[in-house]
Amino acid sequence: MPAPNSQNYNPPPTKLLKALSHPWVWRMAWRDGRSERKRLSVFALAIVSGVAALTAIHCVKVSVEAAVDVQAKALLGADLQISSREAYETADTEFISSKAESLSREVAFSSMLFFPEADAAKLVQVRGVDGKFPFYGDIETKPSAAWQLIQQQRGVVLEASLMDQFGLKIGDTVKLGELNLTILGVVTKPAPRSSRFSGIAPEIYLNLNELEATGLLGTSSLSFHTLYLKNNNAEQIKELRTTYASKGWRFETPEDRRDSLGKTLDVFQQFLGIIAMVALILGAIGVASAIQTHLNRRISSIAILRCLGCPGQTAYAVYLVQSLALGVLGALSGGMLGILLHVSLLHIFKDQLPITIEASPQWLTAFTTTAIGFAVCTAFTFLPLSRISSISPGRALNNFTAQGFKQQGRSLLAVGSFLFIMLLILAWFNIPDPKRAAGMVVGLAIVLACLGGTARLLIFLARRLTRRSWPYLLRQGLSNLHRPQNQTHLFLFSLGLGAFLLLFILLAKNAALERITLSDMKDSPNIYLVDVQAGQLEGVTTLVKKLDLPVLERAPIVTMRIKSIKGVAVRELQEKGKVPRWILQREFRSSYRDNLSNTETVVAGEWSTNYDKMLTTVPVSLEVDMAKDLGVILGDELEIDIQGVLIQAKIASLRKVDWSRFNLNFFMLFPSDVLKDAPGFHIVTTRIPEGSSSGQLQRELVKQFPNVSAIDLTLILETVNSILQKVSLVIQFVVGFTLASGLAILAGTLLNGRDQRLRESALLRTLGASTRQIQSILVVEYAALGFFSGLTGVLLALTAYIPLSIWVFESSAWPGVFLPLLVIAATTLLSVLAGLVLSRGVCRHSPLEVINSA
Amino acid sequence: MIDQDKTSSQKNSELNIVPDNALVNGVILEIRNLGKIYRNAGHELTVLHSVNMDVHAGESCAIIGPSGSGKTTLLGLCAGLDQPSQGHVKLAGEELGLLSEDQRAALRNRLVGFVFQNFQLIPTLTALENVLVPLELRGQNGEEEKAEALLAQVGLKDRLDHYPTQLSGGEQQRVALARAFIHRPALLFADEPTGNLDNATSEPIVEMLFRLNKEAGTALVLVTHDPALAAKADRVISMRAGRIVSEENHARS
Repeated sequence: MPAPNSQNYNPPPTKLLKALSHPWVWRMAWRDGRSERKRLSVFALAIVSGVAALTAIHCVKVSVEAAVDVQAKALLGADLQISSREAYETADTEFISSKAESLSREVAFSSMLFFPEADAAKLVQVRGVDGKFPFYGDIETKPSAAWQLIQQQRGVVLEASLMDQFGLKIGDTVKLGELNLTILGVVTKPAPRSSRFSGIAPEIYLNLNELEATGLLGTSSLSFHTLYLKNNNAEQIKELRTTYASKGWRFETPEDRRDSLGKTLDVFQQFLGIIAMVALILGAIGVASAIQTHLNRRISSIAILRCLGCPGQTAYAVYLVQSLALGVLGALSGGMLGILLHVSLLHIFKDQLPITIEASPQWLTAFTTTAIGFAVCTAFTFLPLSRISSISPGRALNNFTAQGFKQQGRSLLAVGSFLFIMLLILAWFNIPDPKRAAGMVVGLAIVLACLGGTARLLIFLARRLTRRSWPYLLRQGLSNLHRPQNQTHLFLFSLGLGAFLLLFILLAKNAALERITLSDMKDSPNIYLVDVQAGQLEGVTTLVKKLDLPVLERAPIVTMRIKSIKGVAVRELQEKGKVPRWILQREFRSSYRDNLSNTETVVAGEWSTNYDKMLTTVPVSLEVDMAKDLGVILGDELEIDIQGVLIQAKIASLRKVDWSRFNLNFFMLFPSDVLKDAPGFHIVTTRIPEGSSSGQLQRELVKQFPNVSAIDLTLILETVNSILQKVSLVIQFVVGFTLASGLAILAGTLLNGRDQRLRESALLRTLGASTRQIQSILVVEYAALGFFSGLTGVLLALTAYIPLSIWVFESSAWPGVFLPLLVIAATTLLSVLAGLVLSRGVCRHSPLEVINSA
Repeated sequence: MIDQDKTSSQKNSELNIVPDNALVNGVILEIRNLGKIYRNAGHELTVLHSVNMDVHAGESCAIIGPSGSGKTTLLGLCAGLDQPSQGHVKLAGEELGLLSEDQRAALRNRLVGFVFQNFQLIPTLTALENVLVPLELRGQNGEEEKAEALLAQVGLKDRLDHYPTQLSGGEQQRVALARAFIHRPALLFADEPTGNLDNATSEPIVEMLFRLNKEAGTALVLVTHDPALAAKADRVISMRAGRIVSEENHARS
């Protein structure tokens, strides 16, 4: 009788959780991974870039939010900021002042500043301030007393860029309107400003009381009036808000500022987060494909283990432990890199940020993103792992064609559901709106389904279309697309997805940049002369012509507000949220003229200047999108407040306007007669040839018409461009992470197919195939895989891009052929190169070596 | 005694106590009316036609026949590596058809040893670690000395830490032998154990196989197409086209 040790017998665990606590499982996982530790660790790094990007983005967001939280008051400089496009009535100012512990007033407008010594002029934003503003935070100047000095003596504080540009030094004189001002200092940290007063031109500061002497007050259409209150009584602030609710004023508290900053930050973080998320998903696919390769090599070991009595769950646990270890390694490395990125980014940009952000790690956020990275990676590795339970122990017997023991369907469904939930959590983490997060995951699933479908189609076509009459090498190469252990699916998922993302992001970026390029608009204006008073119009026109510049357009401007729509007061509509806020609060600058410009066309109704002058309602033409936002159609009536005078207007026509041309266009356009006597100013546009400077025009203007501002669009566009360049740099940086993940999975895919291809090629070599023939077969296979992956990715990207370009960017839906073809060529080339590198491996090893090692 | 009640059988297997009365008349392996049909895309291939046989404890039994006669299929079914299309296999009184895959694995771990034609060592483990797998699987740690002794017995005292690729075919098969006997199985299945080895290398392997079989009292089921090897067994069963065609008893030593 044999003596099976039945007393001490302790059976191997059959449940996964028990198996995971079984020491043999860990020992086996360690031993089994020994020979491939390096290789597997390299693949674990596939998720590093995704986790790092995710960690850095979220940590930066948390750091900024924390800093804004603490410094919200310093960002606003006051407890309440009230701003308006019109000057405040004295009675209002007095009432508001009575509610404040301390009050400062500011009038800000754009104007030309003249530099007598340099004989030059430049558009600046003038900020006249009185009182003790800012109540919170500091304005830093050089010398440090300069800010206090302007409240005591006549003088001005400038931005450093102006000093550099015109070679100025402290003590020099500049001329603003009629007033000569001494430069008292340079501002290094600017004063908090109203959020709708955006800094396109450099700022200068002076005492509010000096403004009167400039003679510019009241002539500028681009002016803002702001009141800053110090009062930490929330009730009183609330009271002020209700008292003046019907005025078109804007109220902002530190909380409002924090919220609006938060929203801007959210949009940016969400966009970058999506890219990081894609990088993470690509990386996780890379890790999963590495596990798949690893398991392919372990099938016989698993079969032997099962022969020796190892239960399915115990075998599963061995490889689960390995892939968990890979996930931990990758996620931790990514998390640490992310923390490093976060800290160094904050450190590098420390001086360029308006608030002080402490460059210390956000441990909790980093931990969360690392954990999410780990979980997503693990969810993906469950896909290859789920095959373990179907490996039959019968495989260990020679020539034994045992069938799988279990159907995979159920476990695959469980794994798939788990993966879907993990992706939802990941998406939800980036996009807190559950609907959009789900949409994002579903969109990704659709893209993956398309790629999978194309792979199936390709396999089908390769099988059906390959003809015996074709040359052997071509036939063999193409047949590799459908033969067992083909790489068609993996290639489409890696290269195809990569091509899709790359092209889509490139196209979207180009479309966004295209909207703000001027270069090909030869007859569009690039200089706007604004605030030309009626009496100055002829003079300004003559001046422009005298300088050999064309007068492209002249238009009268009248500012107005919409009072009611179809008889309903805008205040009511606003409360009901029926109409976008901007339209109701906006002060419209409208014009009147007899003819339409060539950048606008009437799409509904009739453009007519003939109307019954006896009626009290006047015809108005609305821009078509604005009409849509207002919810009005032809024939509807609007009540319009033109600086205190109410008129009734009936919508007579709708116009489609090409805003991208920078011509003078308006939301509301009236026939000439109606507004002729309304107070307003004129705009004259001209074009300075490219490469020339607007300096002379600006100089002449400031001497003859000091109140007229010359807005140089080229300069503004340069500013916008440089901001966009920075943004696009950040985007490219994050996209770089995605590409790194894409390359990692490409490498994984190649290694996956490598064993199989090596063995086949070695056999072919044994049968007498030359290196050239083997290379040709591989080139055909990899070229086909690369080409079709690229093509599918490109088609998907175009499908996603066209609606975006039409509805979001409103640009031409045709992306051109160059970029898509380039992407297809690049994927094909990359794939062929990879195939050739592989074939070098084949030709370096002796056939016997390869066959024996198999 | 046949336990038809599945839950109770499950319980037994979890307790892992072979009831003494399970080996009715000392029969460790009982095969009744065993058949296997492979179905593939409308084609049916009958590999085994209602095979009946018994293997007694401690007995050595060779199954001989030409390629494709169903030997390996029979072996796989006996070890519970695959499901039969008809009939049943009882291993140490447990009917394999009533056990789950994991219960069959546990039964193999407890009672069965394997030797394969192509050795089937786990390439990522050293010789010593390969031998230890069956013990470690059942949670028996610290048995290195036992494994070392067994490896010394098969002449591999100096190759304990070598990986399979660093060993010759004969050496690999000797490691496999040590692995097959380490947990003192009641039944050893050997599938063409010398099939991949030359005569000179096979000889000591065969000698060891039968010696260990005797010393440990393990029943041996040996599949081979080599009549000389088969002749060393107590009993020789000849197969042809999926049927047992003859059975020959040698005197038991």
